[in-house]
Amino acid sequence: MPDEAPAKIPTAKLPTEGNGNGIVLLEVQGLKKSFGPKQVLRGVDLSVTRGEVVTILGPNGCGKSTFLRCLNLLEQYQDGVVKLKGEVVSRGRPEGYHSSRVECAEAEHLRRRVGMVFQRFNLFPHMTVLKNVMLGPRQVLGKSPQDAYAIAERMLNKVGLWEKHPCDPLTLSGGQQQRVAIARALSMNPDVMLFDEATSALDPVMTQEVFRVVRELAAEGMTMLLVTHDMDFARDISDRTVFMEGGIVAAVGTPEYIFDQRPVPGIQKFLQRG
Amino acid sequence: MEAFGKYLTEQIFIWDLLRASKYPLILTALSMPIAVCFGMVLALMRMSRFKVISWAAAGYIEVMRGTPLLVQMFLVYYSLPTLGRMLDTDWLTLNNFTASVVCLSANYAAYEAEIHRAGLEAVDRGQREAALSIGMSERQSFLLVVLPQAFRIVLPPIINDLIAMLKDSCLASVLGVPELLTTAAGIGKARLNLEEMYVAASILYMLMSLACYAFGKWIEKKLKASGTPELNLEQARH
Ligand SMILES: Nc1ncnc2c1ncn2[C@@H]1O[C@H](COP(=O)(O)OP(=O)(O)OP(=O)(O)O)[C@@H](O)[C@H]1O
Ligand SMILES: [Mg+2]
Repeated sequence: MPDEAPAKIPTAKLPTEGNGNGIVLLEVQGLKKSFGPKQVLRGVDLSVTRGEVVTILGPNGCGKSTFLRCLNLLEQYQDGVVKLKGEVVSRGRPEGYHSSRVECAEAEHLRRRVGMVFQRFNLFPHMTVLKNVMLGPRQVLGKSPQDAYAIAERMLNKVGLWEKHPCDPLTLSGGQQQRVAIARALSMNPDVMLFDEATSALDPVMTQEVFRVVRELAAEGMTMLLVTHDMDFARDISDRTVFMEGGIVAAVGTPEYIFDQRPVPGIQKFLQRG
Repeated sequence: MEAFGKYLTEQIFIWDLLRASKYPLILTALSMPIAVCFGMVLALMRMSRFKVISWAAAGYIEVMRGTPLLVQMFLVYYSLPTLGRMLDTDWLTLNNFTASVVCLSANYAAYEAEIHRAGLEAVDRGQREAALSIGMSERQSFLLVVLPQAFRIVLPPIINDLIAMLKDSCLASVLGVPELLTTAAGIGKARLNLEEMYVAASILYMLMSLACYAFGKWIEKKLKASGTPELNLEQARH
């Protein structure tokens, strides 16, 4: 782990014509996060344009999960700002800071706009698949039962699992559960989706099921940030790839730039190990 | 015919016993819900990030679990009124039935608090996070996601305590509540068949315990069934 962030992050020139239309959707500036004395994120900068698919790679413990969790405030971070569509949606707070009522409401509002898919699915086991997907629209967006039902039907169809809507989540395969989790996140119509190793708990066949859904979302223009250990997938789906190391963005660029040119020594080591 | 009538009058005590059986049921039916609710409050206090609140709950729980229920009953029934007179109020003077309900609730709440705490902690942390991640508030995530799952976990131990309370309710006899044990002893002393009466009372306690157990199983099954697709679809469509 380097003691200090390098002054200049190796960055490839991006082709101006890309999937995105150039409008910056998500902007992260100088995000720092500590757990007690341990500084995990040491100033992360990243901006993601609309419709862009960004994969985040890096060795274990470099802070990828923590970074995603900071973006939707599942973790409070200490320094920096996060902007969504140019508007500041969260900023750093000292450790142990207790949010005011207004700040809690703002955090809830932010999370509606940022969907998250977890490694271990985290479906609600005491509800059917349908209820899992209806819960957000019903309880958070205040939709009528009919509207929430229609949303759930659309989202479950999108992930190809409408026929499973009456089932208990735990009776589904891992891949199916993860697709329901994606539908649940999509039901809130988020601006951006975060995937934290969404396929790490799945076998290769189920992994492909989930990847297919992610590809479709990408084709529809969903803005996504994906943490993954699947290099082939990352290379295939990314508009841009971020290599994180020691709590900072060590390199960022097109997948070719990261995978072929390997601009920092860490990537070399990381790719050889994988 | 006459012999049968005589037999019946001799057996009339059965009705006295059965009538007295309502006391364990009523005492438990009143005290257990209070204990479960108050126990939840205690559990949340115990888990509070404010040390003073957490310690207060911990202190209460330890005192209640560490001292005999019988002593608590004597103190509430006989000593609280004295304290009340010193404070010039008769609010603290409870009749024997109320004192029994108060003691059973207050004592069992301590046990239920620990059950609730274990139950809440047993629910995966990821459940709360998943709920928050779709924009739910902490309150919503607790009430709609964490609590229902914790409830399933705590139900068996709570039913266990329900049965224990049913039997502990016989302690109300020391405050003179005319409950099952008091009645059985009264009849037994009068008819000089104390052992038989105690056996009869025990059988009644056991039957009630079995009923409680069946009630618990029924709720568990009902909870499982509450996730059936038909139910949800109906709710969703209309
Ligand atoms: N709640 C926590 N408390 C203390 N330390 C934590 C906590 N969560 C994460 N960490 C530490 O922060 C560092 C970064 O963790 P993080 O989970 O973000 O890494 P990661 O890049 O996602 O790793 P992996 O590839 O293993 O998922 C690790 O060293 C981890 O031990
Ligand atoms: Mg991780």
